Amino acid sequence: MNWKLPFDIPLITPTLGLPLEFFSILGIIVFVVHICFIYMLIGASTASVIYNIMGVFKKDSNYDKFAYRMTNYTTVSENMGALWGVAPLLVISVLFTGFFYTAILKISPHILHIIYGNIIAFLLSYAYKFSWHALQNHKGFHIAIGLSTVLAFFTLPFIFMSMSNLYMQPELFASINNIWEIMFTPVTGFRLLNFFLTAFMATGIVMIFIGARWVKRGDTEIGKISISQGKKWFLLATPLNIVVMPLLPFVFTARISEALMHTGFIYLPFIASLLLIVAFLYVLSKFKDEVVSSQSAFRVVALVLLSIFLMATTREGVRVVSFAEPLALQAQATEDFMNASLTEYKKYKEEMANKPALDLNNPAVLAESKGCFSCHNVDVKLVGPSFKEVSTKNSEVAVLVKSMINGIENKYDVIPMPPQDVSEDEAKKLATWILELKEAK
Amino acid sequence: MFDYPIFEMPFIGQRMLMAINAIIHVFVSHGGAVGGSVVLAAMAWWANKKNDMQAYNLTYKVVMVFFIVSTSVGALTGVGMWIHANILSPNAIGGLIRVFFWKWFIEWIVFNFEVVLLLLLFMTWKKNQTSEEGRKKTIRLGVYYAISSWLTMVIITAILAFMLTPNFDGQPWVDPEIYPGNVDYNNALFNPTWWPSLAFRTFTSIAFAAALAIMWTWIIATFSKNEEDKEAKARLIKFLAGIMMITVPISAIFGYWYYTEIPAAALSMIPTAVMTRAFEDRFDLMYLMAIGVGASIIITTIIAYFSPKRMPYLAASLMVAGFLVLWGYEERVREFIRKPFLIYNYMYSNGIRTTDVPYLNKVGILKHAIFLDESKKVVNEDKSNILEVGKSIYQIECRICHTENGINGLKGLTTGWSHDAIRNRLNNLPGGGTPYMPPFVGTEAEKDALAAYIKSLNTKGVIK
Repeated sequence: MNWKLPFDIPLITPTLGLPLEFFSILGIIVFVVHICFIYMLIGASTASVIYNIMGVFKKDSNYDKFAYRMTNYTTVSENMGALWGVAPLLVISVLFTGFFYTAILKISPHILHIIYGNIIAFLLSYAYKFSWHALQNHKGFHIAIGLSTVLAFFTLPFIFMSMSNLYMQPELFASINNIWEIMFTPVTGFRLLNFFLTAFMATGIVMIFIGARWVKRGDTEIGKISISQGKKWFLLATPLNIVVMPLLPFVFTARISEALMHTGFIYLPFIASLLLIVAFLYVLSKFKDEVVSSQSAFRVVALVLLSIFLMATTREGVRVVSFAEPLALQAQATEDFMNASLTEYKKYKEEMANKPALDLNNPAVLAESKGCFSCHNVDVKLVGPSFKEVSTKNSEVAVLVKSMINGIENKYDVIPMPPQDVSEDEAKKLATWILELKEAK
Repeated sequence: MFDYPIFEMPFIGQRMLMAINAIIHVFVSHGGAVGGSVVLAAMAWWANKKNDMQAYNLTYKVVMVFFIVSTSVGALTGVGMWIHANILSPNAIGGLIRVFFWKWFIEWIVFNFEVVLLLLLFMTWKKNQTSEEGRKKTIRLGVYYAISSWLTMVIITAILAFMLTPNFDGQPWVDPEIYPGNVDYNNALFNPTWWPSLAFRTFTSIAFAAALAIMWTWIIATFSKNEEDKEAKARLIKFLAGIMMITVPISAIFGYWYYTEIPAAALSMIPTAVMTRAFEDRFDLMYLMAIGVGASIIITTIIAYFSPKRMPYLAASLMVAGFLVLWGYEERVREFIRKPFLIYNYMYSNGIRTTDVPYLNKVGILKHAIFLDESKKVVNEDKSNILEVGKSIYQIECRICHTENGINGLKGLTTGWSHDAIRNRLNNLPGGGTPYMPPFVGTEAEKDALAAYIKSLNTKGVIK
């Protein structure tokens, strides 16, 4: 296989002696929290627009109120989602530095959309939320803001998923050269499908859950809307997701999919699917009930959460089997490079230590040490004039000293000489030496 | 840098790409979050203590502006700093994360508190404002928010200070001759510029946030349809100017302390850092600018304090502009004076570790350029690919600061230079006039190729 991997960072990895499994579990937990907020963000922002529109068409202010409440969920989940997205990235960038940064570089500059695109989406979502009452009589404009918010948020998973798929399949580093080459692949398509289905499914069940609580609190009308709409979301999104999930381990490269078949991870998506089947049937059995108790809603939330957790564990499983080989290759290459480099460095240091001290009283040596020869040569013009030319054009030490200390331009050429880091004594010594070059001629 | 894929930002260059994000982040995080949290909590506390509900309600409107900007632009450009650093210099940010991982992780936990507290503060404000007890709760949330905001800055400042002065008391943070590097985390953390830069940033942030709050109070109250807001305006502005009267002088003192801790080699770069290469000898302009910025801040503070009703909007916005210039320059100078290093004495600004230089000089910088086509690595015997090889070297060693023909473009910098002059210049880097440039790394043949490539930028398209 044509592996192209950068070297590892030659500093010890600060694991505190904890095994890699610890970081795997930490990674899974923070990822699940992150992705649940993101599911909620995608679902809540969509719902707040759909029910805003429905409120207008049905002329029912309860839909409008329900839509407005959903914007609170958008605000919380966008902030918390972004925040919890940082932790998984922090963990992988310390453990698998080279792979993560290579993936990011390969899809640059489009990766920056997750910053600037996110900022735009955040600002739009605030504009949508905080202008709700002010734009009550301009619903068309208000819904347009809401739609742009949703569109802006919907672009972000495409970037993230491309980055994550490239990162998890390091054999593609040699062949993928931009974001489109990884975005338009079956693996990204399939995982995005699963992502959006799970987002709508999870939002559906959250809507049932909060609806049940609102009803309990006496907020019956809005609670009922939330429950009945939540059921529809859940029942529509779940069946396809049940089919898609067990297929996911097989969309990665042949090397990874084959390796995964020899591990227990391969069973997890099937179990996750089974859990969803149970949840689906349970919600279906309650389809005709206008009101659902929080307990029964919570049961479905638990089942969905567990299936999300199993899928996140599968994802980590993909990472583990995929990285085993390239990590070993990278460690070997880094060791070879560092050994060769440090041997040469020690040799160089020894040479430097044995070198006689510079005789700075010798003006030529002083000129060398001050970097004069970067631009000047004694005999020929380089960037600046040759010292011989300087000596024929000048006769006063003071003029040259002034030029060295303050800098000079437009005397010989358009290229200026910047002020130099020399003391007045050193400048005098250099100037005298330069002027003496004329007499030597 | 050589072992990662190459991403080149045309025209504006890598530096400007990072700088845009960094400057926005500094403005919002310092003015909005770190200083803003303190100032907003103080405003709520003061209004409640004086039982001035007009001022308390006006404070909420200022909080709303700060909430929107901090959580969107502030938080995301913060993550953006990291993503930009990933793209620009993976080896540097990778090294920094190896050294500071757990501190960063703690910062992330504190950041959780910061975001949750800000959300709570903002989303429960209206519910809490009706009772004395509720307002006290809001103020408590504000104080906790201020503390957690400040703590996130504590850690980031340590990392920034580490890049400039990585060693505690001259004790090295790592032995460069050992693989893998045995990092001394305490030496890295307790580096000499950490405390002074933290103290400087803390008080300047509060002063900046107070200035921003004055401006926003003025804007909100002036355009408000609510008469109560207009009445509360002068009282709030006077209070905010009072905060500035205290924090501006303290910032100046800590600024001087910070200045004294900066190493001499770095200090000597300040003129170029402030005035850019083109104006580096114009000290008069530099002083003029400093006086202008200082005066706009001090005079406006005095007017706002003694005559808040008559303070014109122009003065408030001039003062904020003064702070923006100050922060912009503080960041530019801090980044610039570290040159030619990214991590002092450990890694050059182009991401090449100092210890790798002798080896790379022997085998060539392109030998380990893993993601480069073989045809762009070694010059053929007939030299047909010399420009491609030269361009590869430019992309690896130069592009972090230079572009081909844009900002700090090599074409403009070497107009009129002969091939030999360019080659000689490469030979003698950092060199007398440009102490901020790292040395050329690579073989003699590579140096020729780079010189030929740079020369070609000015001769391309010219009819011979």
